[in-house]
Amino acid sequence: MNNEAEPWFYNLEAGICEECDWGFLVPVSKFPDKCPHCFRKPLSLIGENAAELPILRPPELYLPFELTDSKLSQALEAFVQGIPFSPQDLATRNLFNRLERLYLPVWLVDCRIRATWQAEVGFDYEVVSHQDHFTGGKWISKQVNEVRIRWESRIGRLDRQYKNIQAAALEEHHYIIKVLGQYAWQNTQIYKSEIINTENIRLPNRSPEDAWSDAEAALRAKTAEECFTAASAEHIRGFNWQPEFLEPNWTLLLLPVLSSYYIDDTGSKIPLFIHGQTGRIAGTRIASMKKARTVSLTILLVSAGIFIAGLLLAALSATLPILLACAVLGIALALLLGLVSVIPVASVWWFNRNSQPVRV
Amino acid sequence: MVETFPPPGYIPVASAVDGIEVFMPAPAKTIPQPVSFEFKCPQCGATTFFSAIEGSLTCPNCGYQEELDKSRKGKLAQEFEFTPVTLERSALSQVEGRVDLACQACGALTSVPVTHLSHSCPFCGSNKVFQREALQDNLRPKYLIPFSITQKACADISITWMGSSWMTPRGLKDKSLLSDFTGIYLPFWTFDSVTNAAWKAEVGHDRTERYYQDGEWRTRTVTDWRWESGSVNVIIDDLIVAGTGKLSSRLVSQLIDFDLDDLVDYEPKYLAGLQAHLYDIPLEKAWENGRQQMREKTKSACLEQTSTPKVRNFSMDLDFASESWRYILLPIYLNTYRHASKSYTLMINGQSGEIAGQRPVDWNRIWLVIAVLLSPGVALGLLGIITLAVAGIGVAIGGIGFVMFIIGLAASLVILVQANKLDDI
Repeated sequence: MNNEAEPWFYNLEAGICEECDWGFLVPVSKFPDKCPHCFRKPLSLIGENAAELPILRPPELYLPFELTDSKLSQALEAFVQGIPFSPQDLATRNLFNRLERLYLPVWLVDCRIRATWQAEVGFDYEVVSHQDHFTGGKWISKQVNEVRIRWESRIGRLDRQYKNIQAAALEEHHYIIKVLGQYAWQNTQIYKSEIINTENIRLPNRSPEDAWSDAEAALRAKTAEECFTAASAEHIRGFNWQPEFLEPNWTLLLLPVLSSYYIDDTGSKIPLFIHGQTGRIAGTRIASMKKARTVSLTILLVSAGIFIAGLLLAALSATLPILLACAVLGIALALLLGLVSVIPVASVWWFNRNSQPVRV
Repeated sequence: MVETFPPPGYIPVASAVDGIEVFMPAPAKTIPQPVSFEFKCPQCGATTFFSAIEGSLTCPNCGYQEELDKSRKGKLAQEFEFTPVTLERSALSQVEGRVDLACQACGALTSVPVTHLSHSCPFCGSNKVFQREALQDNLRPKYLIPFSITQKACADISITWMGSSWMTPRGLKDKSLLSDFTGIYLPFWTFDSVTNAAWKAEVGHDRTERYYQDGEWRTRTVTDWRWESGSVNVIIDDLIVAGTGKLSSRLVSQLIDFDLDDLVDYEPKYLAGLQAHLYDIPLEKAWENGRQQMREKTKSACLEQTSTPKVRNFSMDLDFASESWRYILLPIYLNTYRHASKSYTLMINGQSGEIAGQRPVDWNRIWLVIAVLLSPGVALGLLGIITLAVAGIGVAIGGIGFVMFIIGLAASLVILVQANKLDDI
């Protein structure tokens, strides 16, 4: 699993961000200036030795980053585009330059289960039905085969070893998966300290005891699936078991995530997360009201100028009647521009109102 | 879960996953049934038979009675779905041919059709019931309605029925001719289904309109056709369809009003001394007949929804749902008698005593009655003609004669139609 000469955390230090409360194991050699999650405050060191953290268990598997720079740039470009009056700081280059790689933990449980179980298992079978049509004084009959399920009672005994059953190690795990999307597990690789120990690793905030309910539910679902497979059935319902969980062993699976941020009008850092495999970005997109107001004000000033000029021309038209037409045109244009000046502010207000806030 | 595992009543089944054992409830023990059953009195050794009066196996010699399990299954009797395998196996079951049978009592060898479930040895009178092989368990008869009408009652019913029509010959009411009824369990299929139908049709609405033609106002009826549509759900429960084509379907259809609440589990003892036949119309063919009746019933229900009975361009889509079937034996008494060198069949519902059958017509009597009906009109008509010719006063008499002739003719026609109907069956 890890280098036998060194402990798995040999190159890592534990730190916590006092702003967002996210804890990390970070490489000693690349201790980040700011929290790799919120980018607001530097991390404070906790303890001398990562092994002393009661919640920590060694990683066993990890999913590698699969994004190339060009794919990443494309994803960032797509994120930046389509925002009317985007903040000055919200640029692909800025987001790219601020990228931080980090791994999010998921608990993996290995466990032997001895259990007795009972359930109703379902077997598919076909029945013949008919659909008839009457038209023009004749019946046309069509035979239709329908699949139905025959439920039968089964009981059994189980003694099996289960490996790498997943359970959330973070309180916000399900939310992150919801906003970033699922991970493809087929590329799971054995943890290698020489590769991983140069990255930031998020510390779990759920203990194995807290995560046990998730693990038990996953084990139950897995067992139920295996039981109906064992019974050569296609379905199962009313699964009930009396399990005995033996020799549970907890390790970690690490999920790749990239983080970055941009600065909005108020100077706040808006963090965003990027799925380490697909490039899907989760983060709030905010349009710049400041920029919009400036544009609106400029249009309004131009409109006011044209309006005043129109009034002057109208006054002069008393002596030179031909100027009256120019004056009317000018005033009409000024009124039109006055109306147009509302558009930038309104569009930004509308965009920000409809933009889904994503708090990663 | 339980102290001992598996609990009693469970048997292991093959598991497709290592480390998981699977057990299923043990199927109900099937007691190996003998190929045939002989019915002998344990007291005196005489042949016993099922008695419709007692509802038990009875010895006519010493009066010994063996009670039968009469717990009624009724409409709760198990029903089965139409699986492709069942339909195929039902069609493959042997429905033709004969088997040789050696009587265990007297050793006589007789040939019996494969569709017969029971047999009485013609030499010694011993009763036998066979367990015929079926490709699938539910293609054996699993339920039956026992006979509750006796042969003696059948004779009375048939004599009363024969006497109920003056058109039949007098000699038919002879008791000896109508007492020879054979009790026979006939095979039937019962079908359940819910028919869901959506219909569409042009419905005619009549109205009267006035129009002007040839200088005067007239009225005429005009039909306005409007499209209407609707849907119906008809629940059809236990539609009985004959499983044999050996008897007149017209007669059988008049008798199938059985009360299925009396269904009991099939038991060979119910067949002792009676005849019983297996189906010769396979499930799929019978289901076709059943579906035909169901869709006509559903079509009628659709047509009842139209706002007027005048309908054209009627079309409907019908979806059969929750279809199920059952294979049962129903009790029927059969009597074939001869009259004037012709054979006639009588059938009596062995549960309700309802009768259906063929009755010969005494045509001499029919013609005599017709002659009697027509003669007053003819006589008065002739009298009218004569008196008109002689004294010039016969118009009224002739008129009355004509009216009476017409009435007589109409009555004669009705009698002829009824007699033909009676003779046709």
